[in-house]
Amino acid sequence: MILIGELSLWVALLVAAWATIVSFAGGALKRADLVASGERAVYATWGFVVLAAAGLWTALITHDFSLRYVASFTSANLPFVYTLTAFWAGQAGSMLFWCLILTTYSAIAVFTNRTQNRALMPYVAGTLGAITLFFLATMCFGQNPFERLDWIPPDGRGMNPQLQNPGMAIHPPNLYLGYVATAVPFAFAIAALITRKLDGEWLAAVRRWALVSWFFLTVGITLGMWWAYVELGWGGYWMWDPVENASLLPWLTGTAFLHSIMIQEKRGMLRKWNVTLVVSTFLLAILGTFITRSGVISSVHSFAQSPVGNWFAGLLIACVLATSYLVATRLQDLQAHAELESMVSREAAFLYNNLLLVGIAFSVLWGTLFPILSEAVRGTKITVGPPFFNAVNIPLGLLLLALTGVGPLIAWRRASVSNLRRQFAVPLFGGVATLVLLLALGMRQPEAVLAYALSGFVATTILQEFYKGVGARRRMHGEAAPVALVRLVARNRRRYGGYIVHAGVVILFCAFAGLAFKRENDVTLKAGESFETKDPYGHTWRFVSQGLSVDTKLNRRIVAVALKPTRDGRPMPLIESEKRQYFDSRQSDTFEPATAVGIQEGLQQDVYVVLAGVLADETAEVRVTFNPLVWWVWFGGMTMAIGGLIVMWPQAGRRRESGYAAVMEPAAVGTP
Amino acid sequence: MILSRRTFLGAAATGLAGAVSAVVAAPLGAQDGKPTMSGPMDEGAYKPVTRPARAGAAPSMTDDARDALEHRIHCQCGCTLDVYTCRTTDFTCPVSPSMHRDIAQLVAGGYSADEIIQAFQGAYGDKVLMAPPRVGFNWAGYTTPFVVLAVGAVGVAVLMGRWRRRPAPAGLAAPVAAPVGLAATPDELRRLADAVRRDDPE
Repeated sequence: MILIGELSLWVALLVAAWATIVSFAGGALKRADLVASGERAVYATWGFVVLAAAGLWTALITHDFSLRYVASFTSANLPFVYTLTAFWAGQAGSMLFWCLILTTYSAIAVFTNRTQNRALMPYVAGTLGAITLFFLATMCFGQNPFERLDWIPPDGRGMNPQLQNPGMAIHPPNLYLGYVATAVPFAFAIAALITRKLDGEWLAAVRRWALVSWFFLTVGITLGMWWAYVELGWGGYWMWDPVENASLLPWLTGTAFLHSIMIQEKRGMLRKWNVTLVVSTFLLAILGTFITRSGVISSVHSFAQSPVGNWFAGLLIACVLATSYLVATRLQDLQAHAELESMVSREAAFLYNNLLLVGIAFSVLWGTLFPILSEAVRGTKITVGPPFFNAVNIPLGLLLLALTGVGPLIAWRRASVSNLRRQFAVPLFGGVATLVLLLALGMRQPEAVLAYALSGFVATTILQEFYKGVGARRRMHGEAAPVALVRLVARNRRRYGGYIVHAGVVILFCAFAGLAFKRENDVTLKAGESFETKDPYGHTWRFVSQGLSVDTKLNRRIVAVALKPTRDGRPMPLIESEKRQYFDSRQSDTFEPATAVGIQEGLQQDVYVVLAGVLADETAEVRVTFNPLVWWVWFGGMTMAIGGLIVMWPQAGRRRESGYAAVMEPAAVGTP
Repeated sequence: MILSRRTFLGAAATGLAGAVSAVVAAPLGAQDGKPTMSGPMDEGAYKPVTRPARAGAAPSMTDDARDALEHRIHCQCGCTLDVYTCRTTDFTCPVSPSMHRDIAQLVAGGYSADEIIQAFQGAYGDKVLMAPPRVGFNWAGYTTPFVVLAVGAVGVAVLMGRWRRRPAPAGLAAPVAAPVGLAATPDELRRLADAVRRDDPE
């Protein structure tokens, strides 16, 4: 199976080259036989890549240490689940995983468009084939997961302990699913540019793919934050690391696209802009991959340095040149009659929203690359860390939050004064009431106060929209409120799913603002010693050390400290933090010791305990952090994902629905 | 404006040459060696930052303020963390505890936060700060995103102004694209118009 897998990789390379060449040739020469052959080659490529993936998984499961990849990232005593996830733990395997997803998406895109978008499909298949070809070539000639060692080691090196975490098992696949999905809209954009069919047809084809990408990126980013929080032990979930930023960039431009696409659908405007956003989203996904794999920028998530980074730089440059040429030579076709009736309209609000989302994307990219620029211009190394990103992005983020509440309140085309007054009255009251309440309660951190006040405004906007919708259904159909609510969402998924996404954004901002109240304590404790401190809510906590313990489990030796906490005198569950030294099947240490954080989760706050070190006299160095509202970060992220799922779920009953639902449907085109 | 093929290819070739040279010249950080949270550990990166204690000096700040100061100073072991977070997270790092000791001694010696920051900058350069100091070229880092946003806002405003002035040409009087997938009957569209009127009285 391993040999079949290895051979399949080379066959897939040839078939992908065939798919690319005949698809483009079929489109250019208008030869149906070539187009059909190209599409069949897309399916065949997928089949061979599946075989190659099966080969690598077989090698991992059977511990075939003759393969460099298997020996580098697994060991005989690695738990089975992590032996499986080692597939994407290293450079070469993750490239094959990329390729597996890409060819699967390609096959789905070709299959679902076998009777529609026929003029575009030769170029869609050709573009996807070309991207697949790039990945296969990178593997075959750069980083081959089937590369063999000259000798067979008795055991492998094992997996980095930080990757031996459930979050790491599911976070990368989700990010990959999101990154790779950007390739399909990109392929449609290229096809639309080549064929000059730049009306709404290609947009309709890519909208769901853009949502798929957005959904997986949202889930992937949230899981990545969770992994960083529970595994790395530094006490937070987002450190503006270059690779974190790289995942955020396509998410931001993808979100902008999901808003701006509505303007083209409703008003036929923003053709050039939508093409630019689709292309930028894909290029940013590739840029992120380049950053992760080149070693140009040091990052917590970087793969080992390899020449693969240069390959990605080449792909990036080639894509920029090709799309720039296509756009530059088709500007006439991208002209649309744009007519804006008022600057106070839903269309205008979406433009402001796009401006902010792209502005934030630029600022994140700028901050990520600024150290390189500074060194090139001044020859001075600098660090661009969280203080920089927070200084630049918090104001922009708060503006975006405000717009999240404003957009849904403004009518399409033109908002009248009376309409604005009626729509804004309650949400503004919600925002101001929140502000007054927080100030009365003594909250004085300006950014947090503003974030909560704006959240109050946006939350009231969302509630008002649901209240009005449910009220309308109750009046017209006499439904009970819960039934009306469910049917309202089910029959207007795009609009109300979008509001659920907005609710997730509000929850996230509230949780982020909680960081302003974080409290850290750095103490040394012997067994039986205790220390006392106050949490951000004013409760008094006392932590009594239960001493250090030593143990061996599975593939690791453990030193642990246990703290027995009480809150205002009431006993709370024991919190334990560990240092783990992993070893291979010959009991030899692998990697540096890793931290296992002790977390007592709560809706109000997490108590986060890290065993920072052990002194000679068995004194434990411990950091105890109170992290307010962290649970809500995960909840907010998942709320956004659920909202996204509702938005993209097929509307099976749409055609059956008549009357009122049909009446509400056009107005439903209000949110992503 | 439509570019000619020759103009485009000429510009592209220039851009390509620049981009390739930038990529080739970009410093590729090594990823081998003893790992930190974010890359290879540079155990020799520590540089002592010491000053004689001021006469009759008392600690210049509380422990909390010192921890806050450590959050502003970048550990030099090769990680992306500040001194406080690194020394309380990665107990294999030999650099952050040493930097912490220097900070603690300077605090005990009566030096202010700004003086300590300057002393560290003198020893390590600007890279020792978690964010670039707001001087000289670094201002470009802080202001460019807002400048770009402002330029974008002006561009959007100009564009919207142009769109507002432009009358619809004959034959394009109804540029509204139907929402994708909507198949509405004339009766449904009439009811839609009624609903919109009810919802949004002019």
